Amino acid sequence: MIFFFFLLVFVLIAQIAEFFIPALPWLYNAHIYIVPAIVFYGAMALPFPLMLALAFYAGLLLDALTVQVIGGKVEVSIGSSILLYGVLAGIMHGLRPLFARGRWEVHCILSGICTSLIVLAQYLMITFRRGSLIFNREIWWQIGVPGLIAMAMAPILFWFLQWMGRITGYSYLPERDQFE
Amino acid sequence: MGMSRTNLIALLIFGAILGYLLSLGPDTTRKFKAGVYQLLAPFLTSGSGLKKQITSVRTGLKSLEQLEHENAALEVENRALRATNESLRDAEQEVNRLRHALNYRERSVFKLIAAEVVTRDSSTWWRTVTINRGRSDGIETDMPVVTDVGLVGKTTTVSDSISVVLLVSDENCKIAASVEGSREQGIVSGERVTTGLNPLLNLNFLSKQADLKAGQRVYTSGMGGVFPSGLLLGVVKNFRVRELDGQAQLTPAVDLSHLEDVFVVTGRK
Repeated sequence: MIFFFFLLVFVLIAQIAEFFIPALPWLYNAHIYIVPAIVFYGAMALPFPLMLALAFYAGLLLDALTVQVIGGKVEVSIGSSILLYGVLAGIMHGLRPLFARGRWEVHCILSGICTSLIVLAQYLMITFRRGSLIFNREIWWQIGVPGLIAMAMAPILFWFLQWMGRITGYSYLPERDQFE
Repeated sequence: MGMSRTNLIALLIFGAILGYLLSLGPDTTRKFKAGVYQLLAPFLTSGSGLKKQITSVRTGLKSLEQLEHENAALEVENRALRATNESLRDAEQEVNRLRHALNYRERSVFKLIAAEVVTRDSSTWWRTVTINRGRSDGIETDMPVVTDVGLVGKTTTVSDSISVVLLVSDENCKIAASVEGSREQGIVSGERVTTGLNPLLNLNFLSKQADLKAGQRVYTSGMGGVFPSGLLLGVVKNFRVRELDGQAQLTPAVDLSHLEDVFVVTGRK
């Protein structure tokens, strides 16, 4: 349980940190997202109910901090990121046996893909509201680069979180023999 | 393998709360957002201070590196002297900047509340900044935000001590505008996707015959009720005729990539 609360605090810190990490002007103003990778790690390390709780918490935080209410209209409803996190984390949770067998690379790659999927889904939602579907090179870069960065960041982040799990005496960490 | 009872209950609770949240209206959403921002306000403001300290240390280190190349013999003494000089110059710049801002507030026809930019947008698709003033300072939703140069944007979410400002460079920030030296009027808005640090603005719905020239200034026209007239938005960069209207691209008056001090317009004097 300590580890679960650690993950909650870590998500909060990462979400606040994202405010102070500037966009990358040399990569078409792409942003760096840390929170999705933490949630996706949680999807593999936590039991299903706690995984849902983490996805809910991270999605709620993301919606509360990014969604804009302009002229009496909500662009992206509060809850949409919860749904996204819930579905994607659910997929990652289903692949726990692979993670337990030491196939971390699958989840590192999936973390990147899922991070990009979140940015893409946000874009599609605002496009649905604003109209005129535009897909140019800049947009693909802004969707793709956060995923690539998350992919590169995931091994270090996963290693750190795995280490924290051991330190806090977390017992639910997937064990290889559990799935063999 | 079927789903266990605990998992099923967890999923049902998750779905029920999610359904409730998805059905929230704009007012509740705004209040909820303001509440979360209020909770995080201490972290955001202290984080902003920390970031400034780190930046200033980095700048200091850069000047030390330059000094080392310039004068190897008087390295130690020069380092100390120049570092002191540098910090004094920073302080002088800060004083000048604040004096400039104070002068603007005194000569402005608007009632202004000075605010400091705490954070920049953390998401890809919205252009916002957070300022360290809120409802307790007299700020409300949809108040214009300016600098001594021109319009910055408007407040969208306001909590007790912190507010979110939607920048003019956001596609959703639509402003009625008029062009200096012509009868042309249009709507200024940002672009959905921007690549540079200082994105251009679009002035839409001009007449096809507008034929605006580069360098013409564009001001708020006062239509729509949110923005008072006469605030500088930007300068025309180019003009093109589209199928149904004319469109001009503007260079924003305010350097949105380096916003530090802003003013919230709360009314006229």
